[in-house]
Amino acid sequence: MDQDGQGVKPEAEHLAARPGLFARSGGTLSLLFVCPFLAYVAAFLVLPTGMLLVEAFAGKRGPTLSYLAQLGAGQTLVAFRNSVVLSAFAALVGLAIGGLAAYLVMRPGMPRGLPSLVTTFSAVAANFAGVPLAFAFIATLGSLGMITVWLKSVGIDLYGMGFSLYSLPGLVLVYAYFQIPLMIIVITPALEALRREWREAAENLGASAWDYWRLVGLPILLPALLSAYILLFGNAFSAYATPYALTSGIIALVPVEISNVLSGNVMLSPQTGAALALGMILVMVVVMGLYALIARRVSRWTR
Amino acid sequence: MTDHGASGLMRARRRELLKFGAATLGAVALLPGVSRAAGAEDPALIKAAKGEGGLNVIALPPDWANYGTIISTFEKKYGIRITSAAPDDSSAQELQSIRSMKGQSRGPDVVDVGPAFALIGTTEGLFTPYKVATWDSIPAMMKDPGGMWYGDYFGLMSFGINRSVVKNSPMSWADLTKPEYKGMVTLNGSPLGAGAAFAAVMAASLANGGSVDDIEPGIAFFAELAKRGNFNPSAATSASLVSGQTPIVINWDYLNLAQAKKAKGMTPIDTVIAEGGKPYGAFYCQAISKYAPHPEAAQLWQEFLYSDEGQILFLEGFAHPARFSDMVKRGVISKDLMAALPPSGPYAEALFANNNQTAKAQKILAAEWTKMVKA
Amino acid sequence: MDALAGRGAAARWRPGARVRQRGTTGPKAGLLLIGLYFAVPLLATGAFSLWEGGQRYGFRAYIVLIHTDQFWSSLGLSLRLAAETILAGLVILVPATFWMNLRLRALRPLFDLISVLPFVVPPIALVAGMTALYTGPSWLVGTSNYLVIPYVILALPYTYRALDIGMRALNLRTLTEASQSLGAGWGVLIFRVVVPNLTTALIGAALLTIAIVMGEFTFANILLFNTFAVYINYVGQTSATEAAALTLLSFLITWLAMLGVLLTGRGQVQIGGAR
Repeated sequence: MDQDGQGVKPEAEHLAARPGLFARSGGTLSLLFVCPFLAYVAAFLVLPTGMLLVEAFAGKRGPTLSYLAQLGAGQTLVAFRNSVVLSAFAALVGLAIGGLAAYLVMRPGMPRGLPSLVTTFSAVAANFAGVPLAFAFIATLGSLGMITVWLKSVGIDLYGMGFSLYSLPGLVLVYAYFQIPLMIIVITPALEALRREWREAAENLGASAWDYWRLVGLPILLPALLSAYILLFGNAFSAYATPYALTSGIIALVPVEISNVLSGNVMLSPQTGAALALGMILVMVVVMGLYALIARRVSRWTR
Repeated sequence: MTDHGASGLMRARRRELLKFGAATLGAVALLPGVSRAAGAEDPALIKAAKGEGGLNVIALPPDWANYGTIISTFEKKYGIRITSAAPDDSSAQELQSIRSMKGQSRGPDVVDVGPAFALIGTTEGLFTPYKVATWDSIPAMMKDPGGMWYGDYFGLMSFGINRSVVKNSPMSWADLTKPEYKGMVTLNGSPLGAGAAFAAVMAASLANGGSVDDIEPGIAFFAELAKRGNFNPSAATSASLVSGQTPIVINWDYLNLAQAKKAKGMTPIDTVIAEGGKPYGAFYCQAISKYAPHPEAAQLWQEFLYSDEGQILFLEGFAHPARFSDMVKRGVISKDLMAALPPSGPYAEALFANNNQTAKAQKILAAEWTKMVKA
Repeated sequence: MDALAGRGAAARWRPGARVRQRGTTGPKAGLLLIGLYFAVPLLATGAFSLWEGGQRYGFRAYIVLIHTDQFWSSLGLSLRLAAETILAGLVILVPATFWMNLRLRALRPLFDLISVLPFVVPPIALVAGMTALYTGPSWLVGTSNYLVIPYVILALPYTYRALDIGMRALNLRTLTEASQSLGAGWGVLIFRVVVPNLTTALIGAALLTIAIVMGEFTFANILLFNTFAVYINYVGQTSATEAAALTLLSFLITWLAMLGVLLTGRGQVQIGGAR
């Protein structure tokens, strides 16, 4: 599969015999296909975001950097660190287990209706977040949850052993509930593109399953896996209803901080919220930059 | 606005007089809202309100301070349909609704926001002033002198206790640290984002040597609770209280009492106003949106809320109305109702924080809360 | 996980041998474990929803809910908005993603960045900006259809990525060149060649959009529309067991809606697709 424009030349020459279609299809078609999208995004996403970002610099007496400076304050830095670490791990868990589940479901021996069932369940579970999810987990694994109490009755004291639902690992456990399904939905098309014939050919050539995945399957899937990771990371990064319901912001996380100052009941500080959002955008830009670097390297391998 | 004959003329003249008066006086936020002598029974106001065709209210959950009954009583009494939207709006979202719905007929007419937000709305020019007929009996610290906002009811911090799970109710703040309450003590959110949670930390501070100027002892108290494992970080909801997952919830008294009433067939819930420190309270504020699609109906709504009838409806929802002391003095509250409420002692000595103190406390919380309180 | 990996070399080297069916006990156990993780919290919610106080259990909470008008009206509103958002989103996104993958690869970083922007902009800031900028035509702004505009943006990260992964899994260049060398114009190419091959991705994008629209709260709340998420939030604040019952009911209903989408989508593949 070609990922960048490098290996095109032979086919283009072959088709140069019919110049009309290709010659015409340069600029105007690009406008037709792409401009509506870009215009829409500019109008309804970029402009409002711009207004928000201007707010980050708005002081009482003119532009100021004081709100941005607050980004360096102790607990704010902790919030950014927690958010990035939590998102990175939650995305990894989603990637691994979700990818595994999607693959398992598609294997030949599985019952026929299973893929549809799993896909639709995943779509629902992917958005089963916020207060209902938090309640469901508190009711099972909270300090007075059903499983906690049951385990205590058979002699295992979960919370005594150091487990806590209200910690970063606990949050990863809960986040997985919507990360895994999201991964399943998004990676299934890529898995479907792995033709069975390739697997059979590999086996006929003597490859073990591990060899197949190492040399054929994973390299082909890698761009899709990276892309899915970005989605999972962003999804976890932006979550605020779930961690808030679960921990009331005890664990500093940036979306919760933003929600407190923009959408709360105690104080209102649009400038602080805007500065925090700007921080989140910067983090995301860095992540996207890393992703672009890795993706480019990976695409060279698949050539 | 349809012509109402003589009263319409009177009102028109009154308006002109006011406009003239305002122009003469200058504009320093002193355009006094028109005050109806007859208040909630003013026929001219009622007729004008009915003519507008409805009233839009937001952020009024039915179980919060009895708003459900208040809304239906208003509708029945005046024959005006109320559209109640966004019952879970936070105060910040209410203000944003006013801004976002400017000029639309579905926009909110009146809001019920925390005092900090009442101030913000005033500064931003989101409200229009109005002074109800009973204006003078609203305590001075609960209203804006210019009539932009006015406190409607207040409550005190209390413990809501699920008695199926908790055998011995904690009666004081110090009790909460007892080992038998491990994993049980919960707030309804973050003190940086939820009004009741913020008040809980303030109340804890009052009980531990602090004051409304100093919230640090409160933070230290919760840090101690967390260290002992008694603090449950999740955000309590009615479901988690009733199901017993968060059996001790520190919340407004009117909310805990209403919850107890609602859960009566299911599980017994106690409401305790803690001993061991001066009680801490806070009030919410009414205001009329500057862009209200139904301004006359909004005024009627305020008149109704601040009439004896409206204020007693608040009290029936366990929320102490702004004019409580005035009404007690005049003896208009029935003995039965007084008996159904918690003992009145704490309400007389409750402490409230003003906006400077709230802002200062909030800054300290932002720097210290997540650092000190580790679940 | 793979039964074949354990077999000896002799099995593999026999010429002409069929590839054996790989065992499914391992995978089934794995899926079961994962399924358990997803089922248990739902069961806990279900147990609570059936509780009626003391030791009594029953369906009271569900019965009350089903007879509440607001439940059905808010559900209908959200489902309608979801359908409109899917349509609008796909119309805007499919051509752009297609063209970017085919010709304008250089734009990929821009598209990627745009697609993650909705993650980092707080929804309340988006609604504040949008309503400040666009007081729009009143026939749109006053109605609930206005919500479709921001919903397409909110669904963007998911729909874009689903479509992009799907398109990258195709060999777009070859498909395009083959069709065009056979005389297909752009219309035929997109609607009868590319789209049928993209079914899984399109369905995924549609399902994710439904999930997001059903769960979106802030915009609907600020603009005072009574969508399903607003209703769920309201019930959650006011009543205990009904909140749990509502959670499960909404789970079930959304699941059924999605099964519907899936079955209609798959049907179309059978008819005209290249698969």
